[in-house]
Parts: sequence; C-alpha cells; structure tokens
Amino acid sequence: MSAEFELSRNITIGQYLPTESVVHRLDPRFKLAAFVILILAIAICNTYVGNLFALVICISMFAVAKIPLHYGISGIKPAIPFIIILATLQLLFYGEIANGGTVYVQYGFITISSESIRLVLVSAMRFVEVIFLSSVLTLSTSTTELTHGMERLLGPLHKVKFPVHAFALIITIAIRFVPTFAMEMEKMMKAQASRGADFGTGEWWRIIRRTKDMLPIIIPLFNVALARAEDLILAMEARCYTPGASRTQYTHYKAQGKDYVALLTSIVISVIMLVIPW
Amino acid sequence: MEKGLTVRRIVIAGVLGAIAILLGVTRLGYIPVPTAAGNATIMHIPAVIGGIMEGWGVGMIIGLIFGVSSFLNATVPLFKDPLVAILPRLFIGVTAYFTYVGLKRTNEYFAIGAAGFVGAMTNTLLVLGMAVIRGYMTFGVAATVALTSGLPEAIVSVIVTLAVVATWKNLVKSGKQKSKISG
Amino acid sequence: MNRSIVEVSDLSHTYMQGTPLAHRALNRVSMQAAKGECIAIIGHTGSGKSTLIQHLNGLFRPQAGKVIVNGLDVSDPKVDIKLLRRQVGLVFQNPEDQLFEKLVGDDIAYGPFKMGLPLAEVKERVEWAMELVGLSFEEMKDRPTFALSGGQKRKIALAGMLALRPKVLVLDEPTAGLDPRSRQELLQRIRRLNQEERLTVIFVSHNMEEVAQLAERVYVMALGQIACEGTPRQIFGNQEILREHHIGTPEAVDILYKLREQGYGVDPGAFLPEEAAAEILKLINR
Repeated sequence: MSAEFELSRNITIGQYLPTESVVHRLDPRFKLAAFVILILAIAICNTYVGNLFALVICISMFAVAKIPLHYGISGIKPAIPFIIILATLQLLFYGEIANGGTVYVQYGFITISSESIRLVLVSAMRFVEVIFLSSVLTLSTSTTELTHGMERLLGPLHKVKFPVHAFALIITIAIRFVPTFAMEMEKMMKAQASRGADFGTGEWWRIIRRTKDMLPIIIPLFNVALARAEDLILAMEARCYTPGASRTQYTHYKAQGKDYVALLTSIVISVIMLVIPW
Repeated sequence: MEKGLTVRRIVIAGVLGAIAILLGVTRLGYIPVPTAAGNATIMHIPAVIGGIMEGWGVGMIIGLIFGVSSFLNATVPLFKDPLVAILPRLFIGVTAYFTYVGLKRTNEYFAIGAAGFVGAMTNTLLVLGMAVIRGYMTFGVAATVALTSGLPEAIVSVIVTLAVVATWKNLVKSGKQKSKISG
Repeated sequence: MNRSIVEVSDLSHTYMQGTPLAHRALNRVSMQAAKGECIAIIGHTGSGKSTLIQHLNGLFRPQAGKVIVNGLDVSDPKVDIKLLRRQVGLVFQNPEDQLFEKLVGDDIAYGPFKMGLPLAEVKERVEWAMELVGLSFEEMKDRPTFALSGGQKRKIALAGMLALRPKVLVLDEPTAGLDPRSRQELLQRIRRLNQEERLTVIFVSHNMEEVAQLAERVYVMALGQIACEGTPRQIFGNQEILREHHIGTPEAVDILYKLREQGYGVDPGAFLPEEAAAEILKLINR
C-alpha cells in the first residue's frame, strides 16, 4: 500500500551495470553506431535463419559484456501475454494479406499460410533481439556516455547546419530533469490525495471524467516544469550561453583498435543477416 | 517567430522531453479506457505543447525523445520496432504547431484544442499506418483501433492540452469566468 | 490534559525494504498530540520528519508500530482512508504548486466536491475557509489562480485543505520561502486556527522563531528517532540539548545565553521576544 506513491524510487533509466567488460570500455561513438546498424538490420531482416543468427549473436553479447542474461529476460517476461495475443491475431487474420506462400488452412475469414507463420515467428524473434540488444547497450553505457557519443556521432551534421550541440544539450536537460520531476510528481500525487483526490477510480468507460481525475497532477506537473525552465533559461543567459557557439569539450574520446573491430563486426553481422535467403 | 534554436527553445524542449520520458516510465502516461490497447496515452502531449509554445522544431525534438523513450521502454513487439516507435512520433508536434498557427486568428482556445486533437490523431494514425505497413496488424484491426482508441485519446489530448496551455499562457482573464460555486 | 487525538507508538519505516538500497527512515518513534494542542517537530533534513507526518494521514501505512488518529487505526488495511484524510489535513511544503483549477473558488472547492457534498454546503465551507486564511470570498472566488502572488497562492492552498474541515492540521514548513510579512501573517492565521477553531496543529519547521512563537510542545528528531521532547522553555532553556542536536535557537534566546556567558543571571528559557525583553529590563533596573 505505501508503495503506491513511491514513484521516484522505482524509476530506472539507464540502468548502468559496471562490470568493466570490453563492451563497457568501447568508445561510445562506435558502440552507438554499431547498435544503430544492428537495430536497422534486425528491423529489415525477415528470414528465419537470419533472425536465428541475430538471436545467437545477441545472447552471446551478454557473455561478452559480462552481464547476466536474466537482465535481458526480465525485459521480455511482461510482454509474453501480448506476444501471444498478437501472434494469434497475426496467425489467424494475416494470411490473406501476406501474399505468397502456401495456404495451410482456409476457413471463412481465417487463413493460415506459410507467410503468416513466418510473420508471427519473425516478429517474435525480432522483439527478443531488440530487447536483448538495447539491454546490453543501456547496461553497459552510462547516460552521459550515451549523450556524448550521440553528440560526436552527429558531429558531421554540423556542416549541414544541423544544431548538434543544441540537440545534445536538449537530451542532457531531458535526462537530467526526469528524477527531479518524478519527485515533484510524487509530491503532487500525495498532496492531491491528501485533499481527497482519487486517481482512476471512476467508471472505466467515462473517459472525460477519468482524464479530469488526472488533471490535478498533470497541470501542476507541467507548471512546475515550465517554471523550472524559466529559471534555467535565466541562469543560462546570465552565463552568456550562446546556442551554436563552439565550446571546448571536457571529455575526449580516442578510437582504438577494439572500437574499429566492434564496428566492423556489427557491419559483417548485419550483412550476413540480410544476405541469408531463408 | 525568431528562427533557430534559442536558449529558450533548447530548455523548453529539454524540460518537456523530460516529462515525455517521465510519463512513459511511471504509467501516469496511461489513462485506462475501454479499448483493445486498454489505455489512452497522454505521452504525446508534451510534444503537442512544445509545438504550440515554441514551434515545430521543438515539437519534433520532443517527439523524438518520446519516440526513443517508448522504443526503449516498450514491452510489446510493436513498439520494439523503431520504425513504429520513433518515426511517426516526429510529426506530432509538427502537425500540432501548424494547426495552432493556422487557427490562432479565429480563436486561441479553439486553436489550442484543435492542435491537441490533431497532434493525438497524428500519433494514432501514423503509428497504426506504420504498424500495418510493417505487418503487425491488418488494416481492419488498425482501423478499429484508430476508432476505439484513437478517438478517446484525442479527446483526452484536447482536455489536457487546453488545460495546460491556457494555464501557462495566462489565458484566463479576470472577471471573464465564474467559478462553480458562484451564483 | 485532553485525551490524545494523535497517538503514534513505536512506528518504524524503511524505504525500499528488501533491496540493497534499504534505508531506515523511522526507528520506533512515539509521539502524542492532545486535542487542541500545537506541536512543532524539528530536526535536520533526513531526520525522518516528513516520513513521520506522512503516516498521520495514511500516505504511508505503518510497517511496524501503530498510528491512531481520532480513533482511526492507520495500520488497519480496512480503515476508511478517505475519512482519515479528511480528518487530518496534511499541507505539503510549497503547497501553492498543487493548485490546478483556473479559478480560486474552484480550487478551494475541489476537496469538498470530491467528498460529494451538495453545492450549498461546498459554498459555505469555501467561504468559511477563505475567511479563515484572510481572503475575501466575494472578491477572490472568481479570480484566476495563476496570476496571484506566492503568499496568496499559499493561502489558497491552505484554504483548500481547511475546507475539508480537518480535526488535525499538519503543516510541512508552512512559511518556507515567504517574505517576512506574509510569514508573520500566516503564523497569526495558524495560531488563530489553533486557539479559536480549536484545531490540533502539528507543524514541521526549521525556523526556531516560529517554533518559539507557536508551539506548546516540541519534538526533536534525529536519525529517525525522537531525540527529546518538551515545551519550548525546556528545549531552548537547556543548552546541552541544543548543543547535542545542533538546534538553532531563536535570536532572543541567543542574546540571553550570551548575557549569561558574561556572568549575568538571566533565564534563557524566556524564549519569546517580550519575555526576553523583560529579562533584560530586570538586569538594567537592578
């Protein structure tokens, strides 16, 4: 019961797990680039063997990063009912649209074909792969490293007038303020509960009523956030922050052999996934 | 409007991005409604508000933050696909901004409400469209979800956007409204 | 003494129990408040004050020990939690942040409407609460909330709580961040609530002047425990307690201690400015 308000203590973003493996020590720019390449390959690849291969790679990544596999599995567990429902729906109703393939069952509007089976199995595998991969990334990289990595990676875009620094700063501010606002939100929920609010006890079909029940938290939350923003704007302007002006970097990254190897490996894996024809 | 990313835009985008993340991780972002999805999300609302307040660029960045955070937090395969989770979200703040600017002259309240509606609808339609293209659901299922879940979500979005923006822009003028306990 | 309206016995609370981050915030805390009493809780940040007061209206349920407020047992899972929260008005720090209705009257009426009261009674309660905090009902009820000053917003938040007609009012640093004038006014209002409306008041404060002015009894908290308890005279008059728990003192008491160090026979327990002045006058007229 007392846990109902303990929000700020339960939030994990960037659940960094320092095991000091090779993966942890990779240059964040390269790690991020490799991650993006692999995610794209997974999104495109729709073959059994390709995905099976990706799955094996993802699992072995846990071993390389010295992270217990159950961290990844715990991300999948809550999704299992959804996967089953989605899979059933896809299996039963998608056969007609997934053209090609052999039709196994045809009964009324239900069509089960080799293509619909493929779709079900591949999207389930894809899901597991993405969960595993993003777990490894967030468990082996601190949020600061991630932001830095992203900023440097986007660096070349500066030449085409994309505001890379500003963009990185926005992300930094966003991540920085999540815990602060979580505490504010917790306080707000308690304060409103203290004066008689109840959240989401209205009848489930009364959408407007239910929304209005949330306003006592949402409006103050936005107000507090925007008020904080005004303070921060003032503080930054007082210190002559100029968007777009070049600044000295506090941290320097220097790519080493292992970083190139990692990037190259990810490219090779992606290519293999995409050329496998089954 | 001033061009480019000013200090103000950077900070507002960051702060509203933080709320978008927070709404996603705390489940406050979901209001239970009677649909297949089970709840209406309000996580897109920071992007809508950012768009209204600071232009489409800010709206797009907040949308990106929302998208990435929903991608990372997803527990269903649908949103573990970056093309579904991230790409459509970029446009929420953009359409909201243009709706707001286009209608601002007629009536400020109406423009804000409409922006809330359009922003939510952008989210629903693009996500579902992408889901169909990517083969997670059939067109029929998507259309049903759009109606049963998208519409309530849009209503929720109008209420919340109006309440927050009207408060922040100080649109309530003295003497114009009466409280419920008056008269 | 009247019977206790608030009775806390052996209350313990651990945050994030069962995790490596577990942190014991309260350790066998006991305190009482008699009907109509005004009690201050002082102590450093992290000493457990906030955790303690959040047990009083059931935001936290006791993990160990008992909390009984006006006959309601907070540890009983079947207790009517809404009834409890109406009887114990808990006002958080910076309560002005929690305002959300566009109009002042609506915000104060939020609680009473949530109780399902008829309009006429809601109106009557709002009017009563607004007058108590010093806001004119007719003048203020239709004003936009967000255009008001910080001090006025805080009064509105307080009125919003009073409109529930609580028996016990619990305040977390009620005057923090206010200008001296609003601070004094709010303190006077709280005192009147306590003395004229016979409301039991429990407040947390870092401001010793405030404690000296308002409190009949003081609980000093340290490391999740009640370190000592007594009247302001007992607490401020005992230099050992003050030193041991690093409690700041009201200025009047400071002056008296300094005088005593110089060898003058004054009573540092005279903590109110008037009493201190009398002590000093005694010296001069001697």
